[in-house]
Amino acid sequence: MNLAVNTPWALTGLVLALLPLFNSGMRTSPAPWTALIPGDALSAFVVCCLRLCAVAAIAGLVLGMAGLHRTEQSRERIGHGAHIVLLLDRSSSMDNTFAGRAPNGSDDGRDAGGRATHGAVAEESKAAAARRLLTEFVKQRQNDLIGVAEYSTSPLFVIPLTENKNAVQAAIAATATPALGFTHVSKGLGMAISFFEQQSVTGSRIVLLVSDGAAAIDHDSELKLREWFKRQQVRLYWIFLRTAGSPGIFDQPEDSRDDNAGAMPELYLHKFFLGLGSPYQAYEAESPDALKQAIADINRLENLPMHYVEHIPKQDLSAACYSVAAFLLLVLLGVKFCEVKR
Amino acid sequence: MTETLHYRLPWQSSSVYPGAHPGQMVGAGQLFKRHEPLIASPDPRRIDLRASVLDPFSSYRVRVYQQQSSVNVYLLADLSASMGYADKQQTLIRFLLAAANSAFDYGDKFGFIGCTERIEQRWLLPAGQHLGRVSALAKQLERLKFTAGATGLQNASAFLPAERSLVFLLSDCHFPLAQLRAVLGSLQDHDLVPLVLWNRDEYAALPNWGLISFQDMESHASRTLFMRPSLRQKIVAAYRQRQHDLKHIFRAFGNEPLFITEGYNSQTVNRHLQQRAA
Repeated sequence: MNLAVNTPWALTGLVLALLPLFNSGMRTSPAPWTALIPGDALSAFVVCCLRLCAVAAIAGLVLGMAGLHRTEQSRERIGHGAHIVLLLDRSSSMDNTFAGRAPNGSDDGRDAGGRATHGAVAEESKAAAARRLLTEFVKQRQNDLIGVAEYSTSPLFVIPLTENKNAVQAAIAATATPALGFTHVSKGLGMAISFFEQQSVTGSRIVLLVSDGAAAIDHDSELKLREWFKRQQVRLYWIFLRTAGSPGIFDQPEDSRDDNAGAMPELYLHKFFLGLGSPYQAYEAESPDALKQAIADINRLENLPMHYVEHIPKQDLSAACYSVAAFLLLVLLGVKFCEVKR
Repeated sequence: MTETLHYRLPWQSSSVYPGAHPGQMVGAGQLFKRHEPLIASPDPRRIDLRASVLDPFSSYRVRVYQQQSSVNVYLLADLSASMGYADKQQTLIRFLLAAANSAFDYGDKFGFIGCTERIEQRWLLPAGQHLGRVSALAKQLERLKFTAGATGLQNASAFLPAERSLVFLLSDCHFPLAQLRAVLGSLQDHDLVPLVLWNRDEYAALPNWGLISFQDMESHASRTLFMRPSLRQKIVAAYRQRQHDLKHIFRAFGNEPLFITEGYNSQTVNRHLQQRAA
């Protein structure tokens, strides 16, 4: 309960709140000798209440003018959940369907009848499917801190780790804009890990990488990523949206000449992740159903007890001050009408 | 507008001047008082032959008659702030003029003593027979705004003559009872007629419901009351109790008070004056 005001000098008006103690504000009628009037406890009580009302009304107005508010606060909470960074691939291939074509139907993953559709039927793009399923995922994970980062040619900072689910969903919805050029996964991972830098280690820390392709990671980046993953104790989930016909992450090269990072970046990225030393799980999703399955898996696995701080935003109390003052003034006005005119 | 107060004395005035009231002096009068030797009252017309014959010392006995004497009439007025309430000030002036007129009609001298917190020279009128001075005083009183208390009443006896006079005490008695006892004690040498001036608006005309803020006219302290029928009854009962207490004290000093609550009326005062003389 930390109260503060916008304009502290306006608080000098609180002196005015003492006025009702000196002036009853009532029209007095002369009485020859008030000592003759017997004492009356109820009258004294009513008068006391009215004075307090008047004091409170003036104080309420002054506090309202001063802009009373409750400062931003943080509350410690313990829940089950995780710190999750959604790292989304924004390469232009994500705008294609799982079949590798440009989508020709509606983009919301539903057919004309309103039923949820499955992949090829409505020609849903990979990005749209990921969007839809991640939105549901976020909806289910009420206690988590979720951040969103994207990458294509360079990493895009979208939203830091936050408990505000609306903001996260808006961030996910914002990926509906057309995608950009290339896939630069190492920088994206670097940014995703950097999200955890200012956070205390509590619960599990997850980077959920959703991509449909991979790229070779150069040697320097490899070293850095290894160090960062270890230092930040991050678990990595990779949901690989496999386009029909493209090489998967578990495919072994048929020809030994293709066995290099340039030809099979997915396999080599997978191998790199396996060698990171931190927990890692890869899912290969070839349809929205498989994607859904992968997300459900993560949802089930990552529910460690978590200690986190919930932020309650600054709360403006001046409206409450004004309404209390208005109510009290109404009461006083009513009393004024009850005043006897002699 | 000439109201006359028909006051009569149930006692004998010691004044030497002839007037309209029974006096202790012998002289020209209708009422036989006693026989005296001719040497003491040398009026051969009043020689009582029968009494002279019966006198064992064979001296002439003369009838003497009681002289009707004048009396000094004083109005002792409370000029405290509470007397400025409603029409009390007008009533005071009206009574002043009526009493002065009546006193002059009877051939008596009239004096006025106005008491605020002390007794001021300008509100003092020595006993006299000048209506002009009384009217001037009444005009001055009309302009006066009553503000102070009434503690001067206790010192009023110092401004009264030594011989017994008729003193009208006009006050609303809105001061402590102990003060009233002191005032009455100091005025015991005189024939006191207490007139208690109240106004019905003070207590009976209060509303049944509502908030009302009273400001004391003397102390300026204000009190706010949440009026309701029970409180109204309590206030009326308090005034009734006060009236009872005042009557009790006045009677203890041998004076029957007249409460003027429903407007001043010379008939009411006259009835009261005649009752006390009977």
